[in-house]
Amino acid sequence: MPPPVRRKALVLVLALGAALALTAVAYAGNGGFAPPTPHSPNAKRINDSYVWISIFTGAIFVLVEGSLVWFIFKYRRRGRPRSAEGPQIHGATRLELIWTAVPVLILATIAGFVFYKLPGIQDVPSAKAEGGPLVVQVNAHQFYWQFTYPDGQISIDELHAPVNRTVRVDITSQDVDHSWWVPELGGKFDAIPGHMTHTWFKADQVGTYRGRCGEFCGVFHAAMKAVVDVQSQADYTAWLGTAGSALGRGEWQGSCAKCHGLQGQGGFGPNISTNALLTQGAGLEQLIRQGRNEMPPVAHGWSNDQVQALLAYLKKNVYKGTTSGR
Amino acid sequence: MAARAEVERYRPDWREGRVMSWITTTDHKRIGILYICTSLVFFAAGGILALLMRAQLAQANEHFITKQSYNELFTIHGTTMIFLVVVPIFAGFANFLVPLMIGARDVAFPRLNALSYWLFLFGGIVLYLSFFAKYGASRSGWYAYPPLSANMFSLGHGQDLWILSLHLLSLGSLIGAINFLATIHNMRAPGMSWMRIPLFVWSIEIYSALLVLVLPVLSVGLTLLLLDRQAGTHFFEPQGGGNAILYQHFFWFFGHPEVYVMILPAMGIISEVIPVFSRKPIFGYKAIAFSTVAIGFYSMLVWAHHMFSVGLPNFLNVFFMLSSMVIAVPTGVKIFNWLATTWRGNLIFDTAMLWALGFIAVFTIGGLSGIFLAAFPVDWQVTDTYYVVAHMHYVLFGGSVFGIFAGLYYWWPKIFGRMLDERLGKAHFWLVFLGFNLTFFPQHLLGLLGMPRRVYTYSEHGLWQTYNLISSIGSGVMAIALLVFVVNVVQTSRKGPRAVNDPWLADTLEWYTTSPPPPHNFDHLPYITSARPLRDLRRRLAETRG
Repeated sequence: MPPPVRRKALVLVLALGAALALTAVAYAGNGGFAPPTPHSPNAKRINDSYVWISIFTGAIFVLVEGSLVWFIFKYRRRGRPRSAEGPQIHGATRLELIWTAVPVLILATIAGFVFYKLPGIQDVPSAKAEGGPLVVQVNAHQFYWQFTYPDGQISIDELHAPVNRTVRVDITSQDVDHSWWVPELGGKFDAIPGHMTHTWFKADQVGTYRGRCGEFCGVFHAAMKAVVDVQSQADYTAWLGTAGSALGRGEWQGSCAKCHGLQGQGGFGPNISTNALLTQGAGLEQLIRQGRNEMPPVAHGWSNDQVQALLAYLKKNVYKGTTSGR
Repeated sequence: MAARAEVERYRPDWREGRVMSWITTTDHKRIGILYICTSLVFFAAGGILALLMRAQLAQANEHFITKQSYNELFTIHGTTMIFLVVVPIFAGFANFLVPLMIGARDVAFPRLNALSYWLFLFGGIVLYLSFFAKYGASRSGWYAYPPLSANMFSLGHGQDLWILSLHLLSLGSLIGAINFLATIHNMRAPGMSWMRIPLFVWSIEIYSALLVLVLPVLSVGLTLLLLDRQAGTHFFEPQGGGNAILYQHFFWFFGHPEVYVMILPAMGIISEVIPVFSRKPIFGYKAIAFSTVAIGFYSMLVWAHHMFSVGLPNFLNVFFMLSSMVIAVPTGVKIFNWLATTWRGNLIFDTAMLWALGFIAVFTIGGLSGIFLAAFPVDWQVTDTYYVVAHMHYVLFGGSVFGIFAGLYYWWPKIFGRMLDERLGKAHFWLVFLGFNLTFFPQHLLGLLGMPRRVYTYSEHGLWQTYNLISSIGSGVMAIALLVFVVNVVQTSRKGPRAVNDPWLADTLEWYTTSPPPPHNFDHLPYITSARPLRDLRRRLAETRG
């Protein structure tokens, strides 16, 4: 081979090698080419739609890239002068009509399948056998998730749910836009202040499912994670009984510790473990309800019980007393 | 001699000199060069911001930059690439080329044209100086959704300066767009009917029309946001009775047509380059021209596909899904027509052609991933993840930027009168092609794995780390590639061979004049009888000789 051809062949081989390595790695890790393995009927149907679209887009990809590479190879210059023209073809109406109409048909096929799956993705099942769906309120805050259960229990960043039970989540926000997203249990629904969005899931396996905030919400967006803890009905009922006692700790970890550190030692926010404000109920309540400068109003919308739970936890576990000399 | 001396007596001194002549110029070619060079400088700046982000994300739990700085970086990176690079560089191409392509002496309003450039420059300077504001530059993302962008959650004046900057840039773009429309409609050479204007001019016609139609809507949205921040109003503040979603409608009614503002001129460039280097006429001139118009029209009916997850009524989701899918049809028509143009051609792989063929290869991937995003249940899963980041870079880098480089290599001899080096050009192309795919292809997979966009770090190891590392390495490869381009420009600026009038044996009128063109563009013009006046001239010349 003459040098330029060899060089091009080398580049091609390198690129193909890189692509192969990438594919191998991806398959070895069992992921990355489709959304995560679904564990809820709605997520399953989204994945079905994804696969259906992949079939058609995959075929178009092969067709377009294949003919591009084929034409590049077949009609290359081969030493012809620049002035040598190809046949002066200005178009072909019938051909152009075909490649306008066929995509329309393909898109109609895609849309048809998606609409067929849509009710099973979007509509909350009535779940009559279970006595209607379990309704959980999701309140998004900078930078934590607050879950309120039908009987008033509250948990932070950890949503507990019984397995094989339809759970409807009603999502809103107390400050900026967030988005509720647990990939294995369905798609994203935004949490927008002043609005309520809904989604649902029915987890088919006991286990923990990871969720993340899907809409950029500020400095700790990356830390705004949630866990859905799917339990047996018995474990779930038992957990509901203990939820109240764990609230203060949940609030501390979810709404305070991300900025101020788990011991209150400071991090993005200042060290608060020695700040006497922690023991001053009224002053602290005003601060956390209204925010100040860079501190967001983390307790916006909290009930009095929630505030008291946090205050009790702070006094007991976080406050280290004022340092000597102050 | 006497007449010349008299003319010079009326010219004030302050307009002369190497610097002042550029500052005071109203020549469309000089303004075009200013636009292009300024945009390239901002391209380098925006690229550096991106490299910093990729360095931060190369590994899990890295501490290379702080959270807030990271948020400033992606906000300003996005704003830069859209408002300071792609849109203005096309204004630069349009400035330089549209009058030459349609055989005009200048644009319709030369002084407004200069104003438009200076507004752009000052808008860009305001944006970059906002890094020095208290609390730093805007850090609420390039679409600045309230309440995050409201006073309470975005302290300091970074956000206000961002709004000011966008107002300046919008005003500049608007003036430029009106200018292009007036020029194209009124100043075409004798015989140049609408079906004989170059396809690049068609794309600028639609680019300008879209800007005129949607920029005012952005300005309204930004003004209301500014009032919320500074005058105590509550347009978007739910606690005061406002509606946060309303802003999203304002923004995306502008924001989606903006996407086509950024891709149509690139498609116009591709439609010029592919026929010339295939030695064939464009396949289906009318189909490509009308698909440009169709894309422009439909682009204004799809904005809420950016909002599928906000919980719009079902009928709206269905409408916006179908309208978004419809856009795939005229886009497909263009791809197939370009492919058909290369069919049975004499393909000459000069650097400009490599970029054009590369455009088809990567833009197709961006178009196909868009179909997943248009199907709103699937969008619920992949929106706001790295999948979207990959998609938009396949269309905006693989599309717009590949188109821009195709245009730069193609028209460089006309603009600067020197040929760029082909060997360095090809190295530049292949390195970008490799680096681009390494950077952005794994991001599709990251999104599907569950990585949200706009996170400054992640704690997952395994595949997350592998893909992120590949992506970061790819960004380094692209950085090296762009240095190759800089070397090419520097080396050839003095020593490169002089360009002849028509080095590529092209089809359109700009190649009829000298390289670079004289201030008045043309001494005389041929009567235009087809969309390829230069080829007509060459054939007539050959006939007379033969």
